[in-house]
Amino acid sequence: MLEIKNLHAGIDGKEILKGLDLTIKAGELHAIMGRNGSGKSTLANIITGRENYEVTSGTVKFNGNNILDMSPENRALEGIFMSFQYPVVIPGVNNTYFLRAALNSKLKHNELKEVNAADFMRLIREKLKLVEMDEKYLSRAVNDGFSGGEKKKNEILQMLTLEPKLSILDETDSGLDIDALRIIAQGVNNFRNSERSFLAITHYQRLLDHMKPDFIHVLIDGKIVKSGGMSLAQELEEKGYSWLEA
Amino acid sequence: MKQFQKEFNALLEYWPDEDREFRELRLKAFDQFKKIGFPTKKWEEWQFTDFSLIKNSDFHLSWDSDIPTIPKNIPGRIQDTYLILIVNGHYQPQLSDIPDEVSVVKRKEHFKKNPELYSIESSSNPFLSLNTSMMNSGLPIYIKENAIIKRPLQIIYLTTNLSAKLMNHPRFSCQIGENAEATIIEHYTGSTSSPYFTNAVSSINLEKNSRLNHIRIQEEDLNSNHTAFTSYTLDNQSQLEATYISSGSLLFRHNVKLILKNKGANATVNGLSLTKTNQHHDQHIIVDHASDSCQSDQLFKYILSDRSSGVFNGKVIVREKTKQTNANQSNKNLLLSPNALMNANPQLEIYADDVKCSHGSTTGQIDSEALFYLRSRGISQQRAMELIVSGFAKDIIDYIKNTDIKSYISEYVFNWLEGSIKNV
Repeated sequence: MLEIKNLHAGIDGKEILKGLDLTIKAGELHAIMGRNGSGKSTLANIITGRENYEVTSGTVKFNGNNILDMSPENRALEGIFMSFQYPVVIPGVNNTYFLRAALNSKLKHNELKEVNAADFMRLIREKLKLVEMDEKYLSRAVNDGFSGGEKKKNEILQMLTLEPKLSILDETDSGLDIDALRIIAQGVNNFRNSERSFLAITHYQRLLDHMKPDFIHVLIDGKIVKSGGMSLAQELEEKGYSWLEA
Repeated sequence: MKQFQKEFNALLEYWPDEDREFRELRLKAFDQFKKIGFPTKKWEEWQFTDFSLIKNSDFHLSWDSDIPTIPKNIPGRIQDTYLILIVNGHYQPQLSDIPDEVSVVKRKEHFKKNPELYSIESSSNPFLSLNTSMMNSGLPIYIKENAIIKRPLQIIYLTTNLSAKLMNHPRFSCQIGENAEATIIEHYTGSTSSPYFTNAVSSINLEKNSRLNHIRIQEEDLNSNHTAFTSYTLDNQSQLEATYISSGSLLFRHNVKLILKNKGANATVNGLSLTKTNQHHDQHIIVDHASDSCQSDQLFKYILSDRSSGVFNGKVIVREKTKQTNANQSNKNLLLSPNALMNANPQLEIYADDVKCSHGSTTGQIDSEALFYLRSRGISQQRAMELIVSGFAKDIIDYIKNTDIKSYISEYVFNWLEGSIKNV
């Protein structure tokens, strides 16, 4: 599904990713761990197409297609989704209206019939239950006046609604209490199937305990230095990252 | 100035049998206008706006011969409203629909009863003098005490089908009687290939415990110039909710003077200004807290694209010895183009100590984080910008409670946005 080869990239002339290789197949959940500044968020931003990041060499392919020249919206329409580390507040833009606009963009792209307001309300109420969110958040502006936990739930709500093929969870566990973490992990776990892939970026083992990734990668100074299974997370929790640094 | 003198003389000739005192007022006002002259860049309160377009143009006053064939569908007509229709400056009573609780008064009578409303002595605004000398349009109305007028009254000033460069100086005077409630839409609209000049003055008095929703829509043709002066006086416990939506005219200058004259008066004044091409919108708002326990709230937003420019100058004055004043003023501006320009100057003048005041002004561009967020959900760049910009305008529109007016304005703002964001 996602194939990254020898990726060199950075921002403002500073190289952050220094030859990164990563392949994620359909149905797999990969986790990337690493210290602050190791390049985790840069990787997420490059896959989703955020402006100002510069790829100097290497390729990123999604379902066989090079995506580096695609706009963020076209990547999204092809099935890439990111749960933001810091979800953005958009004053005056109603959350339900936004969610429906996003879903309808996708339906239209897939040459399917767009969903009307009434049908969408039925759909979104079902999804809302899965992340234990109050209906009041539907009538607010996007992320406006949401607590940290509600913002992250709103990200997962979007994922459940848009049904992407590849979901990048960028520090989705940061700032969550135990209950919110459980709800979000459950939301993701129920959404997993053999077609959908995930890339979870995190500092902590606790999210991984809930999600049980297939692979864990350690990112240090822009490169994946070690990959393994759940036991690697355990080892990192005990020993930190220094034993992996050159 | 020669042209204005010529037109003024023509006006005096046209109405030879006008009331003598009224004529004296005109003459005095025109003298004052000549003395003050057009604003220059050296006048602090007018420094950002260039009036040479008006000064150097040869506008002539609108006569009966300038009444065009009136279109069947009046542009800008809002559903389920009463109507006062004024076309190219001329009142059309046969096409108007006025409720019983509203009386339209003769100008002469109104002037005799309320000479103070026509006083220009303390004013240094040349456009008020000009309007007072040449007032040739608009109406004085009274809303009877205790009247509760459910449907809004829409006053349409339509300029259309001009064969020459016209000017009009409409004077709207409105008194809301004690305990009365009304919604009044002052709606300036135009569509014509010829340049024109509207110089409007509105004086609005709210008597004890009355309530007014005042919606002012300025969607004149881009060929036009529009200067305006609106004054409000609020008596005990009266409530004003005013909303200004402006997208028209190449040059727009609006002076507002609002006096909270007696205890417990309450005013909200909001504005949304939308500019493109090389339009220039300049609004000066003075809110004067002259009594105790009054509240004022202002929110003015500008959305500027292309090479357009805006000025917001808001002043809140809290008079000496007043108590329990609450005053808020906020100005927020969104630049859609690197060539757009905004000048903002919020000011407070506080001479009392029992005061809660806030003021602030911000100017920025479309938030790139918000734009990326929406695009990362599969929403096109164009659509994402439309959503963000209409989100920016939303709180002003949401303040309008009447659903027919609100839907007219939502659609109007959305159409403007759709047309303007494409060029970004």
